[in-house]
Amino acid sequence: MTRRLVTTIAVLGYTALLLPLLLLVLFSFNASRSGARWDGFTLDWYARLLHRPDLTIALRTSLIVAVTSTVIATALGTLAALAMGRHRRRAAAAFESLLVLPIVTPEVVAGISLLILFSAAGIHLGLVTIIIAHITFSVPFTIMVVLARLRGMDSSLEEAALTLGANELTAFRRVTIPLLMPGIIGAALLAFTLSFDDFVITFFTAGPGTSTLPLVIYGMVRRTVEPSVNALSALLVLGTTLLLIVAHRWLGRHASGGIA
Amino acid sequence: MGSLLASCVTKREAPPANEAALPATGPLEGELRIFNWSDYIAADTISRFEKEFNVRVIYDTYESNEEMVAKLVAGGDGYDIVSPSGYLVPVLIEGGLLQPLDHAVLGNWSNLLPLFVDAEADRGGRYAMPYQWGMTGLAYRRDLVATPPTSWGDLGASALRGKVTMLDDGREVLGAMLKWRGHSVNSIDRAELDAALRDALAVKPNLRAYLSATVKGQLVSGDIAVAQLWSGDTRQAQLEESRIEFMMPREGTLIFTDYLVLPRRAPNRRAAHAFLNYVLRPEVAAEIAEQTGYGPVNGAAIGRMRRPVAAPDGDMLSRLEFQRDLGAATDLWDRLWTEIKAG
Amino acid sequence: MKRSWLLLGPAGAWLAVFFAVPLGIMATYALRPRHVLGGVYPGWTATHLSRLFEPLYLAVLERSVVLSLIATVLALLISFPIAITIVRATRWRALLLFLVVLPFWTSFLVRTYATIFLLRDTGAINQVLQFLGIIHDPLRMLYTPGAVLFGLVTGFVPFMVLPIYASLEKLDPALLEAAEALGATSWRRFLRVTWPLTLPGVAAGCLLVFVPALGSFLTSDLLGGAKVELIGNLVQNQFTSARNWPFGSALSFLLLLVVMIGMLLKLKLSPRLTTNDQ
Repeated sequence: MTRRLVTTIAVLGYTALLLPLLLLVLFSFNASRSGARWDGFTLDWYARLLHRPDLTIALRTSLIVAVTSTVIATALGTLAALAMGRHRRRAAAAFESLLVLPIVTPEVVAGISLLILFSAAGIHLGLVTIIIAHITFSVPFTIMVVLARLRGMDSSLEEAALTLGANELTAFRRVTIPLLMPGIIGAALLAFTLSFDDFVITFFTAGPGTSTLPLVIYGMVRRTVEPSVNALSALLVLGTTLLLIVAHRWLGRHASGGIA
Repeated sequence: MGSLLASCVTKREAPPANEAALPATGPLEGELRIFNWSDYIAADTISRFEKEFNVRVIYDTYESNEEMVAKLVAGGDGYDIVSPSGYLVPVLIEGGLLQPLDHAVLGNWSNLLPLFVDAEADRGGRYAMPYQWGMTGLAYRRDLVATPPTSWGDLGASALRGKVTMLDDGREVLGAMLKWRGHSVNSIDRAELDAALRDALAVKPNLRAYLSATVKGQLVSGDIAVAQLWSGDTRQAQLEESRIEFMMPREGTLIFTDYLVLPRRAPNRRAAHAFLNYVLRPEVAAEIAEQTGYGPVNGAAIGRMRRPVAAPDGDMLSRLEFQRDLGAATDLWDRLWTEIKAG
Repeated sequence: MKRSWLLLGPAGAWLAVFFAVPLGIMATYALRPRHVLGGVYPGWTATHLSRLFEPLYLAVLERSVVLSLIATVLALLISFPIAITIVRATRWRALLLFLVVLPFWTSFLVRTYATIFLLRDTGAINQVLQFLGIIHDPLRMLYTPGAVLFGLVTGFVPFMVLPIYASLEKLDPALLEAAEALGATSWRRFLRVTWPLTLPGVAAGCLLVFVPALGSFLTSDLLGGAKVELIGNLVQNQFTSARNWPFGSALSFLLLLVVMIGMLLKLKLSPRLTTNDQ
């Protein structure tokens, strides 16, 4: 009885979660412009995306921002996690609890405070300001993911290496880093997705010629009548799915569960 | 931090970067950065300009005047051209955010209708070039309403309950309610505004939502039967669904002109002027007006349009009103708008 | 590597400059006179702060808090069964987990937009119900407070499922078996054993739903048809339509204050705040 209730709710939950995405993909192939009914299968909306140079530019901007911010945020996060994982110093502990603050700050507040900072400091809005913003919201997450891996790791291997005469740097390079790698990759994947999907903070920090894909989609959602925005959104959903499957295969079941 | 703030304030009061005369000929250099309303240009305008003048154009779009201003103020001033509505132009000029136009290189300027050049926003066009004009009215599906709407008051008709929307814009919603009672859309009179607030709250239960350009899709799909909407956006929706009509409520309505202006620190003045002059060409202006559905301000363009934009007749003309900046009353209007949305 | 705690430096400095300092400047902005174009004039004023206490804005705040709390509770009611189902599943576990992770990784904007297809008058639910003859006229779901709630709950459910799943996974099955052997019913087992042990995950999940729900503005715009004004919309509007940056800053701090209260409650529920909760 209880079990059946649990299963029923779970099925309903999954439906509510996934049905919209499914419909979106389905409607991106619908020949009807208004989308009110099914008028047959078409690839027109996808073909139309090819004629929009702004989408190519936005995709490039999104990728530049995501890759750059991922590399920097993962590096900063890994360093900080190493420091926090090894030391039970007060400073490290305090830092850890402070880390929650950026995570729980509403995006709209974070975005606006950065807009104000750039405005007050006279920094021109553009690629750099978006990247700075993305690194800022990614770092706490990269720290936490790497730290979780570090704490779950068996430190005896490192100690063994040291006992066997390896110097600290070698032990670090040959033992710690490889062991930590799934955590680092997980952190990078998370940072990449956070950046690639972000709308709110980018909305406030973007400048001339630096509209990312989510910004362009927002404009299309708000104004455009034709369903090519469905095709674009469906592509994003499919892209995410592929990325996840690859990550899953690559990292193995456990690590990808860990990042999530 | 104090100096940061000071720099932010003084930055705006610096003299215009450059008022030197521009060379009339010679190739353009660098890139041109344009910040315009979305869906507010013809599909090929930019690519043709790029080809003819051999210059790269970076084209970004926005959804509201204030969104654009926030970016200009906050340091998004790498733009060469932006497109504010008329009410904002005097504020931008006064705030020192714009630079004067160099009329010597705008050879096609005389194509503009004098009516728009001599408008209140910027008489003579020292800083701002009229781009397009439009009106706010009611877009409706003639197959979905028993009788076509004629008045702002019809938004409250109970037969339409749940099939009506108003724009997601306080100036438009309160403006329509003010017009309905015969007041100015720029009223700062407390009693008039309070009445408009009551009217807006009374209409609200009838409304499905406050939607701006988003409503086009809903009109096309038939989810919405009557919508307060801009004339050009209605035309865009009509291209998808021919049963959509546009009307101006009999009490009068709001008319607006949008302009093209150069931010004070526009990096590429020459290319910006070349683009303005390009847009002033009759065939280019006609194509933009045709595709966006908004009215041309270019007298020479009107004859070239296959489907001319309907203009208000003399009687309606007298009941049209331009929006003005509200100055100190902006906060009051914003408060009323919050009250409407929160009510 | 005794000095390795210095490795904290880069990340710490980064967050100080680009997280703490902007909030600091924002705090001063809340006390400055408003510039007509946005931005502020020099000088100090308390008008924006006192405006916060007007009933109008407090009502918007109250509605936002209530709506976010309801969204959090609903998300919890959905997430626990989902997490339990995943943990119980053996063969399909990876797939079930994947189906929760997929929306988690998909753009929130895209998911919100996709919800319109489900809820609108000519949308999937109405078409199916009309086809089955259950209803004649379409149900009005889009542009209602219910639609906003639906968007918030489905939008943030993955944030709740994952931490609960993580703490369920760590649960020692022997404990449940022991409880069962001692004759506890399934409800009792849940209340006495499962629930207390998963409380840290639940608390983390609640915070991860409540906070973004409270700060959201896209959902009420796209699914609520701007008829349901939330504090997030209010903040955003000060920058994108009212050109009142100082009041927007003041509202931001009001929002932050509520978030901090939520965080303190969470800390009370789970004494140890570590990454294990994630």
